[in-house]
Amino acid sequence: MKKETLSIRTKETTARIRNTAIEAVRTKDIVKKAVRVYDEGKIGIGGAVGDVDERTLEQQATDNLQAGVLYPHSLETGKDHRDLNPSPMDAQTMVQHTENVLNTLRKDFPEFSFSEAITVRETTYTMQNSEGLDLSYHDAAFELGLILKEKKSANLFDGFVVFEGRNFDPKRFWKFNREYLAAYNNPVDFPKGDKIPVFTFQSPEAKRFLMRSLNGENYATNSSLFSGKMGEKLFHEKFTLEQNRNPKESRTAFFDNEGVRMSEDRVPLIENGVLKNVFTDKETAKRYNLNHTGAAGGAYDGVPSLSTAPLRIKTDSKDIKKALKGQPAIFVVVSSGGDFTADGTFAAPVQLAFLFDGEKLLGKLEEFTMRSTIYKMYGEDYIGTFNPDTIYIGDDLQIQGYYMDIKR
Amino acid sequence: MFDFPKHLYTDVRIEETSTTKISYKKSTLQEEKVRHNKGAFVRVFDGKRWYYASTTDVEKLQDTIDELASMATPDENIDDHPVVKAFETNQDTILQYEDTAIANVPVGKKRALMEEYLELLQAEAIVHHKSYYVDARTVKSIYSSKGANVTFDKQSCGIRMDLDIVFGDKKDQASVSRAAIHFEELAGLKDYFETEIDKNLAFVRDAEPVEAGTYPVLLSPLATGVFTHESFGHKSEADFMVGDETMAKEWKLGKEIGQKHLNILDDGNVHGSGYAPYDDEGTKSEKTSIITDGKLTGRLHSIQTAALMEEGPTGNARAVNFEFEPIVRMTTTYIDKGDKPLKDIVANVKNGVYIDTIKHGSGMSTFTIAPDRAYKIENGEITTPIKVSVVTGSVFKTLSLVDELSEEFELLSFVGGGCGKMEQFPLSVGFGGPYTLVRELKVE
Repeated sequence: MKKETLSIRTKETTARIRNTAIEAVRTKDIVKKAVRVYDEGKIGIGGAVGDVDERTLEQQATDNLQAGVLYPHSLETGKDHRDLNPSPMDAQTMVQHTENVLNTLRKDFPEFSFSEAITVRETTYTMQNSEGLDLSYHDAAFELGLILKEKKSANLFDGFVVFEGRNFDPKRFWKFNREYLAAYNNPVDFPKGDKIPVFTFQSPEAKRFLMRSLNGENYATNSSLFSGKMGEKLFHEKFTLEQNRNPKESRTAFFDNEGVRMSEDRVPLIENGVLKNVFTDKETAKRYNLNHTGAAGGAYDGVPSLSTAPLRIKTDSKDIKKALKGQPAIFVVVSSGGDFTADGTFAAPVQLAFLFDGEKLLGKLEEFTMRSTIYKMYGEDYIGTFNPDTIYIGDDLQIQGYYMDIKR
Repeated sequence: MFDFPKHLYTDVRIEETSTTKISYKKSTLQEEKVRHNKGAFVRVFDGKRWYYASTTDVEKLQDTIDELASMATPDENIDDHPVVKAFETNQDTILQYEDTAIANVPVGKKRALMEEYLELLQAEAIVHHKSYYVDARTVKSIYSSKGANVTFDKQSCGIRMDLDIVFGDKKDQASVSRAAIHFEELAGLKDYFETEIDKNLAFVRDAEPVEAGTYPVLLSPLATGVFTHESFGHKSEADFMVGDETMAKEWKLGKEIGQKHLNILDDGNVHGSGYAPYDDEGTKSEKTSIITDGKLTGRLHSIQTAALMEEGPTGNARAVNFEFEPIVRMTTTYIDKGDKPLKDIVANVKNGVYIDTIKHGSGMSTFTIAPDRAYKIENGEITTPIKVSVVTGSVFKTLSLVDELSEEFELLSFVGGGCGKMEQFPLSVGFGGPYTLVRELKVE
C-alpha cells in the first residue's frame, strides 16, 4: 500500500477596519491535513481540520478504501522546496502600516470612509509520499482590502482601495492612490463614441468563461464552445493564455493536487491566438487522449480531480499610451454582476470607471453597460495585456485592453 | 467551564460539524467523504477594541482566551459599556436533530439514493454530468463572560446534478438540485428531477438571444428571493449604517420605499438554509419586519450595531464558520405573499420577460441578476426561452416598481453556494417569496 500526506497551514493576522479606524485584531493559525492511501488501483483518503495525529488519518484513509474509488495512476516523485517569501511581514509591522494608511486616509481624504480588513497571510503547502515525492511551497503576502464609501453617498459602498503583494512600498501606494482618489472626486464627461477602448483587471467573468471552455472534460465531451477546434486560430495573434503555476506570477502552489509539476511551471493553452491545449489531470488526459497539463484540483482532503486551473494571460504589450494613439479610454475598477451567455455573448454593468489616458486616471465616469463577445474581446477588438508601472495594486499586476460597445 | 478574565467581555463559540460528500462524474464514483471537525472562535472586548482568535486546538481554549486578554486593556467599568450591556444571557439547548442526525444514516443508503437519480440522466443531449450528495450537521455552543450558555444544532442535506447539454452548436450548462433537512425528504423526487431536467433540455435546444431593452419582468419565487436579497436585503444590514449619517438619513425608519402591498421579512427561525434560532453571539433570533406596507420598519443587527444605533437586537450576527467573527448577515429573507393568482398577473403582461432560475446576483447601486432560464411573456403567456446575460435595476428605485405579488409563495433552501460579504463566503441563507412583477428592468 502506498501512502501520501498533504498539509496546508495558514497563519494570519488581520486588522478589521470600520469607518477608517481599527475595530478589531484577529489572529488565525489553522492547519488542514490529509492522508491518502493507494491500494490495488483504488484510493482512500482521511482528512481533518486541526493537528490530528497522522495514524488516525491513515486509519480513516484505509477504511475509506472500501468505498471503491478508482485511481489507476502512478504517483509522482522528486523533491522541490520553494520559499517565495522567507521573511514575511510580521504582525507588528502590519499593524503599523495599517495605522499609517488609516491616519493618512483620515487626514487627507475626510470625504470618504474606509472599512474592511488589512491582513498579513502566510501559507505553507506540503506534499510527500512513500515513492519519494517531497514538495513544499511557502509564501506570504500583505493584503489591503478596503471598501471606499463617500460620506455623502447612500450606497453601501462606492469603490475599493486594494493592494496585495509580498512587499509593500508605501511611496508607490500613495502615488497611485492619491491620483485615484483625486480622479474619484473629479466627475468628467464620457468619451465620445459607442465603441471605446476599455481597460480592466483580469475580468472574472471572462476568466470563468475561458475556464469552462478550456476544461479538458468539457472539450472532450463536446460541451465547450471550443470543442473540435484544436489547432485553430480563435483569437488575436498576440493573445497567449497559459496554465500558469509559477508562484511569482500566479501566487499559487507550483504543483497540482496530484503533485505534478510542469516544465517552467506553465503550459500554453492558447498561443498566439491558436488553441494548443486544454487543461487536464491524469484521469482526463488518459480517458480522452489529451495532453496532460497537471491541472488536478479538489479539496485538500478530496480525491484529485479536474475542476479549475490557474489561468493567466501572457503580457504581450508594453506601452498603453502608444497603443491608444491619443484616443481617450475607460479604466474599469468595479463591474459587478455581468456574465457571458453560453454562446460567448457578454454584457456587464460598470459601477465605477475612470477616464484613462494610458498612464493616469483623469476623472470619474457615470455608470454604464459594456457589451462584447469572447471572440471579439480577445480577437479583433483586443488591444493587449500590459504590466503598467503607474497602477500599483499588487505584485505583477496585469491589465487587459479591448474595444467594447458602450451603452450609457 | 472557562476562567473568563476580569474587567473584559469574552465569548467563545465552539462548532462541531459532521459532513458527508458523495460525488460522481457520469456514473463513476469520484469521492465518498465523511468528516468530523471541531473548531472555535474566541472574542475579547476591552471597550475600545476587539481581539479575536480562531483555533482548532479546542482543548486549549483557556490558553487562547488568556492570550487575547493579555493584548487587551482591562476596564473595570466594562459591564457598563453599551455594547456589553446589550449582550443577552440566554441559557438554552435546542438539539432538534440529535435523534434524527443525518450522520446516523448509513453512507451506503446515501449512495444508493444518489445512484437512483443518476439513472435519470440518460438523454443523448446530456453529454457529461457531475453530481453529488452532501449533508452536514453542526452543533454550536456559545458561552460568554456575562453568562450566556446556548447550544443548538442545524442540519441540511441535498442532491445536485450539474449537466452539460449539447444540441449541435447549442451548448450550455444547467443544474438541478433539491435541499432538505432530513434524508427521507430526498426520496421520491424522480418526478421533480425529471421535470427540471426536461425544462433544461428544452431551454438549451430552443433558447433565442434576447432583444436588449427595458421590459416588465416577472420573477419566480427563486428570482424574487435573489432580487430581495440583492436589491434590498444587504441595505438592511446595519453594519453598513453605523457612523454614517447619510445612510442613516436615507434609510430612516418610517420612510416609504415601496408600494403598500410590499412587506419584507427576515426570520432565523425558518427551518432551512437560513435557520439560526440563536445567532453566533448567542442572541435569540427574531422575525424582523424590515418593510411593512411599503415603509421601512426595521433592520438587521448584531449586538454592536443595535447598541450603537440604539435599536433592539435581531439575532443577525452570523459567521461563515469557526474561522471568522460574526458580522451582520441575513437569515431567511423574503417578500411576503400577495393576493393575486399567478395566471392573472401573467395575463396582464403584453411584452415582458419571465426569469425562472438564476446563476447569480449582486447588489451595489445597481443590483444584477444573471438568469439561467428566462422566457418571453407575449400577450399574457409565457412563451419562447431566451438567453439573457444580465438583468439590472437601481436599488433606490426598483422596490417602488414592484407592481404585483402572487398568492403563490415558496421559501427555498439550497445545495451549495450561499451569500458572500467580503471575506466571508459562502454563508448559508434562505430566501424566496411570491411571483413578483417589476414594472421595468434593463435586460441585456
